[in-house]
Amino acid sequence: MSTERIGYTCAYTPLPLLHAAGFIPHRVLPTSAPQIPDLAGAYLHDNLCPHVKRVLDRVLAGDLPDDLTGLVIVNSCDAMRRLADALVGRSAAQVALVELPVCGGPAAVEFLTIELEQLQTRLCAWSGLPPSEDRLRQSIALYDELAGALDRLRERAIDGRLDGGFGALQASVNRAVTRPPEESLAELRRMPQQGGQGRRGVPIYLFGNLLADVEALELIESCGARVAGEDVCTGSRQLTGLGPAPDGPLLPWLADRMLARPPCARTLPERGGSELAALVVQGARRCGARGVVAHVLKFCDPYLARLPRVRQALRDASLPLLVLEGDCTLRSLGQHRTRIEAFIEMLD
Amino acid sequence: MILPYFENLVSGIETKLRDLEGTDEPRARKRFALEIARLGVRLFGGREPVAWCGVLAPFDLLSAMGVTSCFAEFVGAMLASTGGVEPMLAATEGTGYSTDGCSYHRAVTGATQQGLMPRPDFLVATSAPCTGGLAMMENLARHFDKEMFVIHIPTRDEPDVVGYLAGQLRELVRFVEVRTGRPLDRRRLAEAMERTNRTRELLLEVYELARSRPSPARRRDLFNFGLVVSLLLGTETAVDVARTYRDEFARRVAAGVGGVPGERVRLMWLQNRIQFRSPVEQLLEQAGVAVVVDEFNTVTWDSIDPDDPFEGIARRTLSIPLCRPAQRRIDLLQRLARDYQVDGVINPCHWGCRQGTGMRGLVEEGMRQVGVPVLNLEVDCIDPRNFAPGQLVTRIEAFVELIEDRRGARDGG
Amino acid sequence: MADDTHYLGVDIGSLSCDAVLVDAWGEVVAWAVVPTGARNLEAIASARQQVLERAGLDANAPVSVVATGYGRSRVEDRLAAVTEITCHARGIQALLPGTTLLVDIGGQDSKAILLDSKGRVVEFAMNDKCAAGTGRFLEAMARAMQVELQQLGELDRLARSGSLTLSSMCTVFAESEVVSLVADGAEVPQIVGALHRAIAARTQALVRRVCPDTAARAVAMSGGVARNLGVVRAIGSLLGCEIAVPPEPDTVGALGAALIARERAGA
Repeated sequence: MSTERIGYTCAYTPLPLLHAAGFIPHRVLPTSAPQIPDLAGAYLHDNLCPHVKRVLDRVLAGDLPDDLTGLVIVNSCDAMRRLADALVGRSAAQVALVELPVCGGPAAVEFLTIELEQLQTRLCAWSGLPPSEDRLRQSIALYDELAGALDRLRERAIDGRLDGGFGALQASVNRAVTRPPEESLAELRRMPQQGGQGRRGVPIYLFGNLLADVEALELIESCGARVAGEDVCTGSRQLTGLGPAPDGPLLPWLADRMLARPPCARTLPERGGSELAALVVQGARRCGARGVVAHVLKFCDPYLARLPRVRQALRDASLPLLVLEGDCTLRSLGQHRTRIEAFIEMLD
Repeated sequence: MILPYFENLVSGIETKLRDLEGTDEPRARKRFALEIARLGVRLFGGREPVAWCGVLAPFDLLSAMGVTSCFAEFVGAMLASTGGVEPMLAATEGTGYSTDGCSYHRAVTGATQQGLMPRPDFLVATSAPCTGGLAMMENLARHFDKEMFVIHIPTRDEPDVVGYLAGQLRELVRFVEVRTGRPLDRRRLAEAMERTNRTRELLLEVYELARSRPSPARRRDLFNFGLVVSLLLGTETAVDVARTYRDEFARRVAAGVGGVPGERVRLMWLQNRIQFRSPVEQLLEQAGVAVVVDEFNTVTWDSIDPDDPFEGIARRTLSIPLCRPAQRRIDLLQRLARDYQVDGVINPCHWGCRQGTGMRGLVEEGMRQVGVPVLNLEVDCIDPRNFAPGQLVTRIEAFVELIEDRRGARDGG
Repeated sequence: MADDTHYLGVDIGSLSCDAVLVDAWGEVVAWAVVPTGARNLEAIASARQQVLERAGLDANAPVSVVATGYGRSRVEDRLAAVTEITCHARGIQALLPGTTLLVDIGGQDSKAILLDSKGRVVEFAMNDKCAAGTGRFLEAMARAMQVELQQLGELDRLARSGSLTLSSMCTVFAESEVVSLVADGAEVPQIVGALHRAIAARTQALVRRVCPDTAARAVAMSGGVARNLGVVRAIGSLLGCEIAVPPEPDTVGALGAALIARERAGA
């Protein structure tokens, strides 16, 4: 088991590849630690994704694990691209940028395969370990197991069978992405299998980009809401099962699976595929939600641009929508409380 | 509403140009404006296959295939310049589009909602320069229920990436062939590429001449030039326009005549100009301040092999700093600052721009490294509603004073 | 349900604490408005005491309480804490039956609420991140023009058809702009007209988030700013409809809370 870490910032990061190269993948979360000064705006701009700014602030403040060797940034959007630019030369850790295609298809998979090969080469140069199909196969299986364990924990939270509900779930997810997967799996196995107080509250469907603060999820539940389904990148999209690895070459398969995972709004559906609006309606209906809550970080263009169509599709489906704008701090939680409570009162 | 605007513009400029025949009056800008207005007529005329595109789409390739194409943001700029953009923006606010987004995109979305954007035959989106632009294109495709081809442009330019992009361009050709029912004519394509190459040569001359002291470029000569002239590439028109500029600039340089009378301070303007009517340019000119170079008025690419242009077009796309890491843009800006001997840089930090404005600090740092001061103007280049000319003027005046003070100190004052 | 049971709605806002008492039939018996000040608990107690006194009731009379407003969780002995959105919808439906859209502009925030015939909320939008257009904004502007806040509503009637517009909506910058205008000799009625139009424009944007088409709708306004008929006229003009304002528009939330108390306790 390795002790060196590689930081990452996007759910699209191919974690098994990092792990197989001998590292512990470490999600650099945009924590709400208030003592970290707000410097990112000076390097980039203030009106930029709060997640990206917070990560940059943490790097500039040296608020990263000491054993962080490198950072893998996925080119998922303009803000991430600029983050990579700002990090070059400003962090002790080395930076690798992964070009993620904007939609799937054979050419995109082929290109991403080459990206993954190059990433693998770099990671192995950093660790000194040679690339190994066997180790990659094992890492894929390990992360699949971890994803499965968290999925089951999520089912328990949805069913009201988890002490601490979605707040506790998020705490587990946050731990799982900042520790060796082997440790996380062991911890999950040790958790009491029973608990919770049953399903309580008005069922809602939660979607959006980042919502990693445990307090935010506790707040939502304390307002009388029950999260019946969720599609958030720091939640169910963070660790997704890739499926059993094929006997053949792994990287092309991994590239294909990366592009096929539950999408962030930055990924365009392939021709004939469902747009975000349709996926939200489907998700809400599937879990029997009475309303939908969108949590979107400020200045996130991929989500902001799709919200009007989401709103219309939900209107057509007679599902009320509440949009909460986040900024990766807990400052706005108080204002969110009134809106969420009013929304739940409306649905009740 | 928009078609008559372009038609009137065409006849108006044609008349003015006829009046100028046989005189020595400047006309390059009018030629350029005329050809763009003619493009507008074709786009809004409903008589030819039209494709709405991303900024980095291969316009010459599309025109060689008989498709009239344009980047959608052009409509936003046009609406702002004619004073017609506010209702478009208000329309999007009413349907839930956040005002945090780029107003180029919101203007186009609003125009679409108001039924003012012509229905395209298909769309060609590009993942660069920006994520917001790509999202707008997806919304357009869904609104019009038309198919969209997406070109993924990575940030590296190694051979494997060139190959990947060239492959996508070949796919694009097949996509267009199916939708227009016209196979690619290799000879037409080769001829178009030859014209692209000739235009390129002429543009290099134009930009070389523009470096002179004083600069031959008058206030509006090269406004929106580099970005918009790419729409004409591949046509004889582009060659004509570039040649007209070259000849005009050459005459002025030979005569030692500057475009801005009494040029005292030379500035570089980044990214885009303010598209709506504003007092900024006039004020600059009155103060003897010449914007001698715009960031987009550069040629960053090599000539393209007419017989097998796809790799060349791919390399051209990847040469444009908009889709590359920040350091590439900064390298170019440092070079331009040196080549054009600029005293300072104006960075119009367009509201909602993540890719460009989002590297404000890095640009400032890069220019500091070569001793060039930067004035950051927090503006919205399309939405005039929050424009505070007084504040802008104060900042610009202070910047010019700063430059003149530094010059005084440097010259031993 | 005993006939002598009463139901109290308490709305703890940033500026004032409003209390409304209704009887078993939902009729308003008494109401009181007390400045919130720094000590919420004292204001709440004071409002409760005043309203019971005015109703001729003993201080210990049986009362079911629903609390609303930002300080709602601080009210002890309450039946429930309900958001001001839900309470305002209930309140306006009782005061002006048939209302389907409510615009509430308070001391420091504003809301647009779409409601049904039973006073239930269908959709809502809030602006609580910026004070522009709210009560505090108008207070600052009145000071800058050296007029009384209560005069604003009538002053713009004296304005000639106006072309003056304010370019800034930020409270701080708008104040500077108004001071400059006064110093340059602009007529106060003209400035007031421009202010009211600016508020109306912002309100329209908020309303459009819940209701794209307001023409021919039954629209009402609540909150302290609704006492300013100039603002009401300006908003009505932009929305293309008549806007009804109940008497005591700042107590609509407390009334709604009282009615909800009656529904929940009596059920």
